[in-house]
Amino acid sequence: MSLAATYRLGLHLFWRDRAMLAGSVVTPVAIAVGIPLLMRNVRADGIAAATDSFYGSTALLLSITAFMNLAVVLTGRRDQLVLKRLRSTRLTDAQILVGEIASTVTATLGLLLACLLAVHAAADVPLPPDPVAFAGFAFLGALTMAVLGAAWTAAIPRAELAAAMTVPVFLLCGVGAGAMGPIAALLPSWAGVLFDLLPTTAAARAMRTGEVAGPLVNLALWLAAGLGALRLWFRWEPRRS
Amino acid sequence: MTAIRVSGLVSRYGGFTAVDGVSFEAARGEVFALLGRNGAGKSTTVEVLAGFRRPDEGTVRVLGLDPAGERAEVRRRTGVMAQEAGFFPDLTVARTIDTWRDFTAAPRPRAEALELAGLTAKAGTRVRQLSGGEKRRLDLALATLGRPEVLFLDEPTTGMDPQARRATWELVRELARAGAAILLTTHYLEEAQRLADTMAIMDAGRIVTAGGITQTLAGLRGRVAFRLPAGVDPAELPLPVALDGDTAVCAADDPDLAAQRLLGWAAERGLRLTGLEVRTATLEDLFLDGSAR
Repeated sequence: MSLAATYRLGLHLFWRDRAMLAGSVVTPVAIAVGIPLLMRNVRADGIAAATDSFYGSTALLLSITAFMNLAVVLTGRRDQLVLKRLRSTRLTDAQILVGEIASTVTATLGLLLACLLAVHAAADVPLPPDPVAFAGFAFLGALTMAVLGAAWTAAIPRAELAAAMTVPVFLLCGVGAGAMGPIAALLPSWAGVLFDLLPTTAAARAMRTGEVAGPLVNLALWLAAGLGALRLWFRWEPRRS
Repeated sequence: MTAIRVSGLVSRYGGFTAVDGVSFEAARGEVFALLGRNGAGKSTTVEVLAGFRRPDEGTVRVLGLDPAGERAEVRRRTGVMAQEAGFFPDLTVARTIDTWRDFTAAPRPRAEALELAGLTAKAGTRVRQLSGGEKRRLDLALATLGRPEVLFLDEPTTGMDPQARRATWELVRELARAGAAILLTTHYLEEAQRLADTMAIMDAGRIVTAGGITQTLAGLRGRVAFRLPAGVDPAELPLPVALDGDTAVCAADDPDLAAQRLLGWAAERGLRLTGLEVRTATLEDLFLDGSAR
């Protein structure tokens, strides 16, 4: 019951926070739908280019809506002592965090599916060859990035810095998955190898191709690392000094 | 029956020892006041008892349970009004209470909680629009939503208007009468004197004075204060006094008797003791005395 309550509360607050909605919903959705639509209409290989840009932008959606959103929201709640207040209830620490993560994952998953349908209808992007793999890796990617976002809060000293400290992450994820054009091709080959190790690159590849084994191992390792970091370093209150 | 037991508690922030070997107990139905200046270690003690921090040394038990190790069970049966804790600013007061009802075992109905906090008229107001005192009242409503067996109140009436403060006192008394153990920290000594059965004064992380409030105050000296008449040498007075500006202050075991003697002395000389104040010892006297050590 309490877990369901924190989940409902997280979703309610997600859609009520207008400032965050602009950054964590409107911007990534505009990119994930707008760029494929543009590609479809300006490039000779319109459908292929639109498909490339859509699957690349799923990495942006995962890194912004799941990772950045949760890192910023949790840091704010930590610094405003809202997390402390939640801990004074009968909720366990796990219920508080799982509720926050689950509501973010749900919102991210919903946006990914909505964007897929939008680009399919408006830009002729073909539906994924394996819809189950698409849904499964959209979920697993959102979960992994949300957990990493929650863990990342330990590195953020105060709420004002939260957004700025997540920017490098989504830039890396966006470049790595090709959401920002062929920048990765201009970099040394070892950079490409590193980009392939990013969880968002693995999730985007699995959603597009239906490949399971490699992306699953990648995401499982990142998820385990995120959970370990959460357990070791997550702070419920701001530092006192 | 003992509800709160603290034994040799030590709590540190890095190299700074905030609480240094504190021990006390509070029974069910008892209001225990923890007093002291800012930084004395009161809030840290409450944070350990509420399970927010683990003790570095010593043991604490709430309802016989370890608040850090058995936090879920302790939280189910306790209420916490921390000195500082945030709200979700975009939720309304009613939605905040409804949300907390979901987090509370056997909660009060929303209407009762709103009435108890005196916030019925503000039910539809967003929390960000409440005044500091109203937020404190909402805080109290949330802390008492589950009719806790142990209630931790850290500076509960700070920012409240006098009416809300008195309503809060009445609620605290009511909860204590119903059998709750209440640990209260406050800067308002009148509040502690009115509410608490027992108290401890902390200074620099240690308890410097402790005991039943009535018994402790009975052991202190009262005071008679008056404006020293012009031209009178304090040494001429029949009782020794200390001067505080132009006010003479006489400490006395029986302040009524001392006042009679001083007034008789003044009448014999055709003098008036203006601004005369006669009172027994208060917690403030004890606090200032204890904190000064």
